[in-house]
Amino acid sequence: MAVVHDISPGDGWSLRLDWHDESVWRQRLQRDREVAIRNQSAEQRAITETLVSRVREGGASAFALTGSTARAQRTAISDLDYHVIGERPLHSDFPDDVDIYATDLPGFWRKLNQGDDFVQWTLRYGCVLFDAGAFHQGMQHLASEDLWPSPALKFARLAEHVRLARRLISMGDRDAAQDQVRATLTSVSRGLLLSARVFPLARAELPQQLTAAGFPDLGQALHQSIGSELTLDQLSHTLDLVDGSTPVEALAS
Amino acid sequence: MSPRSKPELAHDHLEAARDDLDGERTGDAINALFYAGEAAVVALAETYGIDTKKSHVLKATAASQLHQKGVLEHDLGPLLRDLNQARKDYWYEGEDPEVDLETAYEEIEWLVGKVTEGGD
Repeated sequence: MAVVHDISPGDGWSLRLDWHDESVWRQRLQRDREVAIRNQSAEQRAITETLVSRVREGGASAFALTGSTARAQRTAISDLDYHVIGERPLHSDFPDDVDIYATDLPGFWRKLNQGDDFVQWTLRYGCVLFDAGAFHQGMQHLASEDLWPSPALKFARLAEHVRLARRLISMGDRDAAQDQVRATLTSVSRGLLLSARVFPLARAELPQQLTAAGFPDLGQALHQSIGSELTLDQLSHTLDLVDGSTPVEALAS
Repeated sequence: MSPRSKPELAHDHLEAARDDLDGERTGDAINALFYAGEAAVVALAETYGIDTKKSHVLKATAASQLHQKGVLEHDLGPLLRDLNQARKDYWYEGEDPEVDLETAYEEIEWLVGKVTEGGD
């Protein structure tokens, strides 16, 4: 029987493990539950437990805690992120920013095979809290096919995101503009890292990954957009940086 | 470039939303309605001492609190949540909004009117 408990989830779940081995999957589920408990506050755990109950009652196929909480990398602006295969459960009664990425079962497989990075993120780094089989089979498929997300998907709407950000800047809505600029930087950062064969982690970890991959200016800009309140002029200059950062090979792919 | 007041922003986002709806620019319209609603709620929340901490969920909660306090006759918290989800679905998943945007426009127009003109 393979033993996976010594593997650091910080490195992500290795595609080299035998994911067809039921004991490997059971150990992962156990480890994911432990990590989820450790990384959440009591209030966050209560939200998660309520959501697990709701998705089970709603007939979902699978549910995972994802994002910065799963990575123990929360910042002051972090949402509580989840991935459900099934109907998005009611979450408007929670005090925290809860973001639930929902796909139906065919959509999950389509996105996995089309190179969606978020679906792979869940399988590699998420804390699976409930699974009727979809995540397990997805992990087997991911490992056996050695799938890698498509950088091109991250750049597909980049020009639109930049235009939206510039519109908010020109209107003088600093708060909304910083939200949009941060989202744009995050998206382009993930695309560039995927092009460099580096799997993008949680948002707070991206600046360090970008610097190591040879994009220090973008890393610094993203870091500032997460932790500082930028002026409209600074936000505009940041977008200038994004405009020149899309690698031709990524767009071509 | 200088930041502008929340009532001014609410008004300008609403105007942009009308143009976007007329021009059938769905994604832009969702964003403009969302930002118009948020700017209006923040303006009212500040007046009544409700902290929104720049959090989308707290702004939606503030809209509900303003209704509970009797400041707003309608609870627009659920609409703000729906618009927030709609913009994520549209811009990141390519999905059409589940929100009726013309109905949303009428509700946000009413809200912005409360802030900019004090009227119904």
